[in-house]
Amino acid sequence: MTHEAIDSGIENIGVRPPTADLQHRYKVSIRNLNAWFGMKQALKNISLDIKKNAATAIIGPSGCGKTTLIRCLNRMHEMTPGATAKGSVILDNIDIYDKKVDPVVIKRRIGMVFQKPNPFPTMSIYDNVAAGLKLNGIKDKRLIGDVVRESLEGAALWEEVKNELSKPGLSLSGGQQQRLCIARALAMHPEVILMDEPTSALDPIASSKIEELIHSLKKDLTIITVTHNMQQAARVSDLTAFMYLGELVEYGTTKQIFENPQKDLTERYISGKFG
Amino acid sequence: MTRLLDLGIDRIQNIIMDMAKLSEKSVTTAIESYEKGASTKKVIFEWSEQLRVLQDEVGDLAIELIARYQPVATDLRFIRSCMEIAYGFSRFGRYAYDIVDVLETMGSIANCDKSAVLEMSCTVREMIHTSVQALQSKDKNAAEKLYQMDDTVDALYRKYLREAITPYEKTDKRSFDPRCYISALLILRYLERISDHACYIGDSVHYIVTGTSSPRR
Amino acid sequence: MAEQNERSSETFANDGSGSRRHRVEIRQMMDKQSIRRRLFDKIATGVAMACVIAAIIPLGSILVEVVKNGVGALSLEFLTQPPGAIGSGRGGIGPAIQGTLIVIALASLIGAPVGVLAGIYLSEFAGSGKFPYAVRFLNDVLTGLPSIVVGIVAFVVVVLTIGSFSVWAGAFALSIIMIPIVVRVTEETLKIVPNSIREAGYSLGIPKWKVVVFIVLTSAKSGVLTGIVLALSRIAGETAPLIMTILGTSLFFTGFTDPVDALPLRIWRLASQPYESAHEFGWGAALILILLVLAMSVGLRILAYKRGFRTGI
Ligand SMILES: Nc1ncnc2c1ncn2[C@@H]1O[C@H](COP(=O)(O)OP(=O)(O)OP(=O)(O)O)[C@@H](O)[C@H]1O
Ligand SMILES: [Mg+2]
Repeated sequence: MTHEAIDSGIENIGVRPPTADLQHRYKVSIRNLNAWFGMKQALKNISLDIKKNAATAIIGPSGCGKTTLIRCLNRMHEMTPGATAKGSVILDNIDIYDKKVDPVVIKRRIGMVFQKPNPFPTMSIYDNVAAGLKLNGIKDKRLIGDVVRESLEGAALWEEVKNELSKPGLSLSGGQQQRLCIARALAMHPEVILMDEPTSALDPIASSKIEELIHSLKKDLTIITVTHNMQQAARVSDLTAFMYLGELVEYGTTKQIFENPQKDLTERYISGKFG
Repeated sequence: MTRLLDLGIDRIQNIIMDMAKLSEKSVTTAIESYEKGASTKKVIFEWSEQLRVLQDEVGDLAIELIARYQPVATDLRFIRSCMEIAYGFSRFGRYAYDIVDVLETMGSIANCDKSAVLEMSCTVREMIHTSVQALQSKDKNAAEKLYQMDDTVDALYRKYLREAITPYEKTDKRSFDPRCYISALLILRYLERISDHACYIGDSVHYIVTGTSSPRR
Repeated sequence: MAEQNERSSETFANDGSGSRRHRVEIRQMMDKQSIRRRLFDKIATGVAMACVIAAIIPLGSILVEVVKNGVGALSLEFLTQPPGAIGSGRGGIGPAIQGTLIVIALASLIGAPVGVLAGIYLSEFAGSGKFPYAVRFLNDVLTGLPSIVVGIVAFVVVVLTIGSFSVWAGAFALSIIMIPIVVRVTEETLKIVPNSIREAGYSLGIPKWKVVVFIVLTSAKSGVLTGIVLALSRIAGETAPLIMTILGTSLFFTGFTDPVDALPLRIWRLASQPYESAHEFGWGAALILILLVLAMSVGLRILAYKRGFRTGI
């Protein structure tokens, strides 16, 4: 891991206004984000800067709002009936919560991988990866074929499935399905990928494959991953945010959070002294 | 609920405390035998060996805890520091042995002026005590105190060194017995090393508590 | 620390004996339960089997009866010729087969898309407001509507307007019977599609209607097809609304605004004639109707299976 680079870059990463000179460093800047499910407030005034080409992990106890937070980042949250969000999320230089912004377009720029692998059940492996392109109006067969291959390679799945692309996506193992879902997200060439506990349904070998993948994807992408597995956060992320009861408690380099957390709450959570 | 990790941390802490007591005793005994001329080489050798064994034990246990429980934050810092502290204590034992070894080699030094060594040993024993105390009470400010004492020790050491290389200026009877100079200087040197290690222990405590290395280091 | 250890191990021992006592107690209770449970299992299984048999007997005997009495009538002439003179025992039910196929095809051309679209609307777009609630309620009422009532409506709306009994009127009436069934089944099967599949679609920036049509609907394809087959079988046997819409004739199809024949109508006519030969033709027609329904449902299923993993994107 490139601790040095990150250490020198962000010593006191905290809440800062997104000024022009920071834009090249931060891909996503969350400002005063609040989210509700009906009357219940799930996120309370979250402000957070997500570094470009880095993996940011979000950790916290169950129900603290991790999933809600990342679902707010691609405007998926509001698709739940009764769910609302307020605040701003600045992607490069546009606020995705601006009225003029089309949520569908945002989702093309910010990919998502879900907790449980969810390949499209009636589609082949090939079609699963191609679906995003085809259904967004791309017809060039050669282009689609190239992208499918690239994405499967990017998701470290190509070698395993190259001879059975027409088999149903569901015929793969759980870990392969999750990598298929990552490939499906990669095919859209997103700038940011959100992962909600991407390895929680997988065995250690499959998990470590996904972890390696996260590491290699950082070159081209910004990755935000939610995880319950502290060691996993420690392994894959460059920065870690700790949330509790809908609030952001602490945010810093992963090294700092795991070696020397500043807040007592963080310390108690990561060292398992909770409750 | 006690975490499983806590059981291990308790164990490691107990070993460290045993080491602290043993090493403090070794140094005190060594200095006393310098002062009074009693032969303690055998017992101090044993203690020093024991300290080495304990140091290995701490190292093994630390690695095991890291491998099994992947400790983080304070736990991780504590375990890492325990390895350093255990090394410090085992050095104390080693230097205590070196001191009595010098006494053995030099033979009778009963007539030498021992004031310099005894002066410094006072400070050094206090430092050992302070470092052990700091470890026990997780006192992050002890490091600062230890470094101040270390400055005194260093100054004393330099002073006697200077004195030793200009013997002709003195008309003291010591100048006629090289055993006195050599033994005093060697022991002073060992005491100076001990004081450094006491400082490192203070540093470790500071690191355990704050997560940052002490500003003096 | 050693002290603490002792204390904690003591607590442990206490806990252990306590839970051990409970374990014994729980085991005994469960063992007692399990004897009763096994007995109950046997009885329940027996009752269920009896019910299944009770349901199958009439169904089976109907089938046997139809086949036994109908097979004799089957011949090429029977399948392709118009009916001969009454009581002659000549001719066939060609126009009825043709008419049934035409009317059902036309009815499902209207009913299936409308029903599926309405089902999609209710499941995917409507949410839980007052309007969708009203639609669901009306739909349920429509499902239970006696088919004769539908026939009267079609008679008033179509037959009287056009001025003659017609294929259109029959198709209209049958589609009205078909729609609520298709709506219901479509809605229910779409609701079974896990939300994670939809979210996967949305997360790729696919517009909602495309997600619904190309992802959700294709995932629920076989369920929707089952609904359509169900509705088709239902309308294939409808008689009452046809009397008031296509009337029935002995001639082959002549135009969409003219009367046609249909199998249920023909069966009814043949059955009400006093001749033995007519009765035999009636059984034959009934057999053909059953085979037709069977063929439709098997055919649609094969179609669904064959299209397996093609998405139709
Ligand atoms: N669909 C929903 N309707 C109502 N409340 C919800 C819904 N989803 C989540 N919540 C509430 O919002 C809060 C945050 O939930 P969220 O799913 O973001 O937690 P999380 O941190 O992802 O938890 P976990 O680690 O268990 O996945 C919780 O208190 C939960 O009760
Ligand atoms: Mg979650």
